[in-house]
Amino acid sequence: MTMRALARTRNGARAVGIATTVAAIAVVEGLIRGGAINAYIVPLPTQILAALPRIIAEEHVLHRFWQTAQEVLWASLLLAAFGIALGALLYRFRLLRQAFEAWVGALAAAPIVLMYPLFLVIFGRSTTTIVMIGFAAGLAPVILKTAEGLSGTRKVLIDVGRSFKLSPAQQFRKVLLPAALPSVFVGLRLGLIFAMINIVGVEFLINFGGLGQLINELAERYDLPGTYGAILFVILASVVFFDLTARIERWLRPVE
Amino acid sequence: MAEALLDVRNITKRFATSDGGILAVDDVSFSVAPGEFVSIIGPSGCGKSTLFNIIGGLTGDYEGRVAVEGATVVGTHPAIGMVFQEESTFPWRTVEENVAFPLEIGGMAKAARMERAAHFIALVGLTGFERRYPAELSGGMRQRVAIARTLASEPRILLMDEPFAALDEQTRLLLGDKVLQIQQTLKQTTLLITHNLTEAVQLSDRVLVMTYRPGRLKRSVTIDLPHPRDSEVVSSEAFGHYVAQIWQDLREEASRGIEDAESRVRLQGARR
Amino acid sequence: MAATGRVMPSGNAAPMRIWALRVAFLAVALAAWEAISASGLLFRDVVPSLAAIGAALARVLGTPDFYANLAVTAQEIGAAVVIGGLCGLATGILLGSNRFLSQAFESLLLYLGPTPKIIFFPVMIMWFGVGPGSKIAMGVASCFFPIAISTAAGMRQIDAVLIRVGRSFRASPWQMIRCIYLPAMREPIVTGLRLGLGVAIIGTLLAETKLSNKGLGYLVIQAYALFDMPRMYALLILLFVLSIGLNALLGRFSRVTRGISA
Repeated sequence: MTMRALARTRNGARAVGIATTVAAIAVVEGLIRGGAINAYIVPLPTQILAALPRIIAEEHVLHRFWQTAQEVLWASLLLAAFGIALGALLYRFRLLRQAFEAWVGALAAAPIVLMYPLFLVIFGRSTTTIVMIGFAAGLAPVILKTAEGLSGTRKVLIDVGRSFKLSPAQQFRKVLLPAALPSVFVGLRLGLIFAMINIVGVEFLINFGGLGQLINELAERYDLPGTYGAILFVILASVVFFDLTARIERWLRPVE
Repeated sequence: MAEALLDVRNITKRFATSDGGILAVDDVSFSVAPGEFVSIIGPSGCGKSTLFNIIGGLTGDYEGRVAVEGATVVGTHPAIGMVFQEESTFPWRTVEENVAFPLEIGGMAKAARMERAAHFIALVGLTGFERRYPAELSGGMRQRVAIARTLASEPRILLMDEPFAALDEQTRLLLGDKVLQIQQTLKQTTLLITHNLTEAVQLSDRVLVMTYRPGRLKRSVTIDLPHPRDSEVVSSEAFGHYVAQIWQDLREEASRGIEDAESRVRLQGARR
Repeated sequence: MAATGRVMPSGNAAPMRIWALRVAFLAVALAAWEAISASGLLFRDVVPSLAAIGAALARVLGTPDFYANLAVTAQEIGAAVVIGGLCGLATGILLGSNRFLSQAFESLLLYLGPTPKIIFFPVMIMWFGVGPGSKIAMGVASCFFPIAISTAAGMRQIDAVLIRVGRSFRASPWQMIRCIYLPAMREPIVTGLRLGLGVAIIGTLLAETKLSNKGLGYLVIQAYALFDMPRMYALLILLFVLSIGLNALLGRFSRVTRGISA
């Protein structure tokens, strides 16, 4: 296969993408060594890589990862319970939906995480604060997507149920709920991602918790390679999280 | 004459709108005998979908009466099975789960209803696809699943609203064949709503032509083509005569529809 | 069934009932708040009385100090959105128009997008100093991704025939962008901008709370440090009103543009 033909394939393109990134890093390495970039601002990529094992060992990265993961877990439980319930409520009572759906939508766009000083005052510098912010940040999409999924059932499917004379309970169980499930999962995934992002962010800001706190600590210690390394680690963790939730969502709804 | 299985009498339906009201269906009456295949044909906007929803029981608040075997019917009725125009298979159920749906509602045990469903799946020619999901099937196959599902509830009357509207002409003709075959085998009383002339003549014993809004019955044409029929019949001379005859009436109504649409656009432009 | 008028939607509650419900909800919420505040159940000042919050609001809005800080934040966010927006648009157009580039690099965008950008702040401080530069950089990092991703997706959704029309008239790449791509992508671009503005606000303000001596974020964290709770509530309320208002404005704008393009 010629290079051009290889490049045309999907994997070929991906390989080029990765190669370009690696090449860019190599260029940065060269520039720093050459003095074009200040080594005190951007540490050598090789140094960063070397710092990774040190961080893992000395800073108990796994333990911190588990801490953050627990916070995300708690937030997701709260999100599932309250988000889906509220969304179902909005669907069930049309007046509620008409009155408040726009408000929930506005909430989704609002900078909820900026309330973290407030949460600090209310819940103290604790895991509760972090979990509550994750929950608050991720709630709106879950509510909206649940209500949307239930209300957005295609009319023809409801008509099919009516043509077979289904009782309201049967309609809900056999038509509305299965039809809404894909939307509910999309909403849950969105909420989870928002929650994760805000949880790690707040950990960094209040210097408490797992991975976010690690970055803050290393930065305050002026451990540059460590800071960059920890950031890399968080990026990796969030990529894995993003991918994992996508896979779970796809697995839970095989048809579409 | 055999006693009518379905009797539709003096159906009139008005819709309230912000500027007065619309008379969609105006005093429509007809009946369908047992085992008969009747088509209702008309231009877009003639109220045939409204009629479909009224007979099927999904739309209320109308004047007139719908009766099955002499007994008035209000709302949806197990004797009337509906096949819709849009995609109506449940995307989260497999083909056999879709077809078994009415049996599941009726309380049949799982093994029994899967076996029964297999019978109807075979009837529409989809044996082998029982475990597939609708998303894996073509549009025509999905409509066959919808038809099988309705047939599984063994309705006295099969009511279909342009089930082949989304399909290409060739697929239509072949599916039409299939439906006719099934209808002849089961002696299924069928009422088909369509705007496709060829389809109406190909499949029906009788064609009812509707006017443009307000929808009235303009004419009833008995199709005297031999049974058993298949899609080959479209090339026969008699077929052509029937099509020409019905087209006369239909063309007039369709033109009125187009004129009406154009005047509406002109009106909207003037308002701006 | 085509109607000239609009069919009365069944079951749509009169606007009166909707507003009555909203007012009732707010009234109950405010009453509950005041009750908790007066009861002394929670630590003093965690739930200040509505009067105290009102007074703080008046004080905040009455001093020029607030407006000066608002201006600083607004400028930072503005700069961030302009820089991040232009870069995002350019990247999105590039990736969206070229299949190879898209397959090579777009997954980078998709994966880096949903990461907490605030963790990059120490790096931004090192690169851009402790002044507004690092805050703007945070804003840029935040809003670049949603805009780029939205634009790239929008590029791919442009009706292919429109592109063929442009090519058949031999339009230059810049003409293609100006006359075909951008107008055709009005909606995804505005959507991306709305999202981008939202996260730029968050990114910039969070950075201000972390390390700054100016800006609205700084004011909030200062109120926290001084434990001036009524003032913190007042500032947060103003922040929320401003950002929700901006988002709503953009939403109205997007509906207007959508009406034109249909």
